[in-house]
Amino acid sequence: MQLRKRSMIAVVLVLSLSLMICASAFAADKVIKIGALFPLTGPAAVSGQNCVNSVLAAADVINMKNPEINAPLAAQEGLLNGYKIEIVKADHQGKPDVAKSEAERLYNQEKVFAIIGCYNSSATKPASAVAERAKKIFMCGCSSSAALTERGYKYFFRHAPTDAIESDEFVEYVEYLNKEKKAGIKTLGLIYENTEFGKHAAEEAQRAAKKAGLKIVANVPFNNGATNLNSEVQTLKAANPDAVFGAALGGDYSLWVRTMKQVNWLPKIAINYCTGYQNPAVQKELAADGDYFMGGMGYSPALAKEFMPEAVKIEKKYYTPRSNQAFDSDSIQEAVMLLVLAQAIEKAGAVDTEKVAAILRTESFPSALSLSGSVKFNPDGQNANALSVITQIKNLDYNTVFPLKYKKADPVFPMTPWDKR
Amino acid sequence: MDNFVQVLIDGILSGLLYALVAAGLSLMWGVMDVINFAHGEFLMVAMYLCYWIGEILGIDPLFSWIAGGIFLFFVGALTYKLIIKNSLGKAAMAPLLATFGLSMLLKNFCMNRFTPNFRLLSGTIMEGKTFQFAGAIVSVPQLVTAIFSLVVLLGVYWLIKKTRVGWAIQATAMDKEAAELMGIDTENIYLLVFGIGGACVGVAGGLMTTYLAVHPEVGSLFSLIAFVVVALGGFGSIPGALFAALLIGLVESFTGFYVAAVVKYVAVFAIYLVVILIRPKGLFGW
Amino acid sequence: MVTAMFKNKADKLWYGFLAVAVILPFVPGVIGGSFFGHVATMILLYAAMAQSWNIISGYCGQTSFGHSVFFGIGAYGAALAVVNFNSLPWYGAPLGMLAAAVVSVIISYPCFKLKGHYFAIATFAIVEIFNRLFMIWDRVGGALGLDYPILPDGWKNFSWSETKNGYYLGALAIFVLVFSVVRWIEKNRMGYYLKAVRSGQETAESLGVNSTFVKLSAMALSASLAALCGAFFAQYNYRVDPPMVMSLDMSMKFVLITILGGLGTFWGPLLGALVLIPLQEYTRAYLSHLGAGVDLIIFGLIIIIVMIKQPLGIMGIIRYFTKRKTAKIEGDA
Repeated sequence: MQLRKRSMIAVVLVLSLSLMICASAFAADKVIKIGALFPLTGPAAVSGQNCVNSVLAAADVINMKNPEINAPLAAQEGLLNGYKIEIVKADHQGKPDVAKSEAERLYNQEKVFAIIGCYNSSATKPASAVAERAKKIFMCGCSSSAALTERGYKYFFRHAPTDAIESDEFVEYVEYLNKEKKAGIKTLGLIYENTEFGKHAAEEAQRAAKKAGLKIVANVPFNNGATNLNSEVQTLKAANPDAVFGAALGGDYSLWVRTMKQVNWLPKIAINYCTGYQNPAVQKELAADGDYFMGGMGYSPALAKEFMPEAVKIEKKYYTPRSNQAFDSDSIQEAVMLLVLAQAIEKAGAVDTEKVAAILRTESFPSALSLSGSVKFNPDGQNANALSVITQIKNLDYNTVFPLKYKKADPVFPMTPWDKR
Repeated sequence: MDNFVQVLIDGILSGLLYALVAAGLSLMWGVMDVINFAHGEFLMVAMYLCYWIGEILGIDPLFSWIAGGIFLFFVGALTYKLIIKNSLGKAAMAPLLATFGLSMLLKNFCMNRFTPNFRLLSGTIMEGKTFQFAGAIVSVPQLVTAIFSLVVLLGVYWLIKKTRVGWAIQATAMDKEAAELMGIDTENIYLLVFGIGGACVGVAGGLMTTYLAVHPEVGSLFSLIAFVVVALGGFGSIPGALFAALLIGLVESFTGFYVAAVVKYVAVFAIYLVVILIRPKGLFGW
Repeated sequence: MVTAMFKNKADKLWYGFLAVAVILPFVPGVIGGSFFGHVATMILLYAAMAQSWNIISGYCGQTSFGHSVFFGIGAYGAALAVVNFNSLPWYGAPLGMLAAAVVSVIISYPCFKLKGHYFAIATFAIVEIFNRLFMIWDRVGGALGLDYPILPDGWKNFSWSETKNGYYLGALAIFVLVFSVVRWIEKNRMGYYLKAVRSGQETAESLGVNSTFVKLSAMALSASLAALCGAFFAQYNYRVDPPMVMSLDMSMKFVLITILGGLGTFWGPLLGALVLIPLQEYTRAYLSHLGAGVDLIIFGLIIIIVMIKQPLGIMGIIRYFTKRKTAKIEGDA
């Protein structure tokens, strides 16, 4: 009997070991593998899926012949005389520990040349730490935590404006309104989800506000996925700040807006970080309730039409067929990172991490998908040309209001109160 | 003062919502000593159902809660038939863990089918309707949900205390063998209890679609709060659940406003621990 | 006679497994930097975690859903030492274990009064409280968490980047420690005390067992071992934040692995980890193209089926087959 039991245990051990035998992918000749590590499941999965589709669209731009698109590497087929980009998708579920182990798998097992990722700042941190230790390139499109580029990493490059840059811009806009429109904005309220992203944004907002002499009268972190935001909004209303900076994602954003409507209160102006504000699906459900809010954006269909004609072509040809929607300001930056990386590889003339990284660190790259038209990395890896504009939403259209160079419409200021809509 | 009244009203309204969500759980626990870990996911399923009814058929949640209740009655009954019945009495926590598996299944199935997108109905009848009361603003959909909550709780209470079925349920809860000897079909009683428990949460989910966005994770926090409400109220006591839910709602809203929003759930779980350590069987437990 | 033989066989199996596990990293290309190395390390770690939970919940019968709190305290112990005090994890980890043991005793002393589901829900509430407090406690990084700086590889910092052999051996050491503790408990008086408490507090008391003392010491032991695993987890991921370590999800991993393998059995946690961890890692890596959450749907189904068909998990299945075979042999004879 004991013998049987032992052999059964042995059988189970063997079976589960055989479960682990995995098909190792054979690398074909003339292929450069790039990992795309995003949250394909979990709470941030929608954004993660968009990011992957965007990277795949960029890969198509490089790999196929696209003579009609006026962007580097578009007209020719592949790069380095016949090399093709192959994207290896991976899912980190929004969890830092999974991001770390998937990054290792991509570099060590799949032998990717570089990784593009990870959307969530909290996942980008450990994943890029893996890259830095292994001396491999990590390209970050839209994670906004300023801390990412304050670590002194040498192989880490980020396209998005950080929340530090955005905070300064928001405050600058408030000062502009005070000066030009006699807006009289003196107090500021902050409402943000108590996560890595929200916390960072709030810290930067506090720093920027202090510099400009704005007084913070309400500082309201909240738990994401809350059952209601009554106390949070009530706290804001009681403090009654002139301006509110918000960082609430997806469902929390719509709950926040609806709760403000319910208590019949609005600040004079509400500006959002990279949040539910930029999500067209959320805005569609909020409909008219979402009007007159503002937010920082690096991309909008209206901006693209005017300033980025090639982006519209790429979107039509390769992105929309994949995802049934337009680019959004998060996902498009992941495509930029792949295009920039490919240009650097082309310039280096070899698939060599050190050479490519050196070029990434020093040179400037034209970028059809960036609002500023080009990308240049600072020594810390941050994109020096990162640009975001402030938009105001009305009837589901994001109208650029600031900086003045890109201004498309006069802002509705102060926001129309709920009972006058 | 205005703030105080507002916070009080908010607390009572969300407390009554929690009571409605917890009512079904309380019944299952009281009669069968089973915790349905998938309770929050039942809520999510009802919300998705009523969302899609509203989105595709254009029927307002004010009416489609009936569909939510009926559908969840069957989901509850089916859960009993397939899962609870087969795991009951096998190991101490078997039904709890089996329903945990069910909650993973439902959550990720909805994630897979409906994407994790947040979905919110717009243009519903009660949407955004409010009125002034004693210097505070009362939201109509939340008030309606609260009234429903009282009606449903009263209905369940009446069912258990005043009807023949209710007496059978009580008898089954007290002593299954004795009840069987008295000629009560305990199998059917259990089935019914799970059905009613599901229906309660179905009604709650239906009504909530008016003001809360649906997504696969929406049930998680609600189910935790429902557990706390039921345990705080005490083993299967409907008045206990109501009282505990009001207490939780008020603690949440007062700490949320007067201390800090970010600690409101800490306060909720802490007050539960304090009470439960003083009265290990809950406020109304026996 | 039979028990002596059984012990002998079990010993053979145990030392055989250990011998293979120890040799693995010295076979070139098996662990190294490979994904297999990651999976093997995680199997050992999760088996050790589940076994630490098994002490209090399996052997002693107190189903705790709060072990991620202790796991998290251990993780924070190591990470605080490295990140905030520029010290070594070797100091942080034991302090974390000590803290976890103290916290577990403080929490458990009143909670052990609660019975059945009341105890289970109280442990849920404790996880939520700790999670949310750590989220706002800025001294330990709050919601931002703690990120490790890049340190030289080696045992001193318990940190490697090129190869996983160090981590693998570290996990193996923790695994051996936890499993040996449980083997020791099983064979000694403590094991009988625990089982006496599990079968009924009154019975235990009537046999002269101080059940409160037994439960508290089992809890403290279990918590400190879980904290040791947590310290390893932080070292392994170069990062710690509250949702990563102190969450209901993490608590459920302790529970599910043990339950799947076999609650209250010595081999259960290892068998559970051997099935669940590869399933989790490989489905995520190679099945994610099927769409979101497919691996978790499979997970949920497995849990339901196990709970319905065989609450004793894989050990139950093994026992079922071995018993049937022996019964058959006896019948033939």
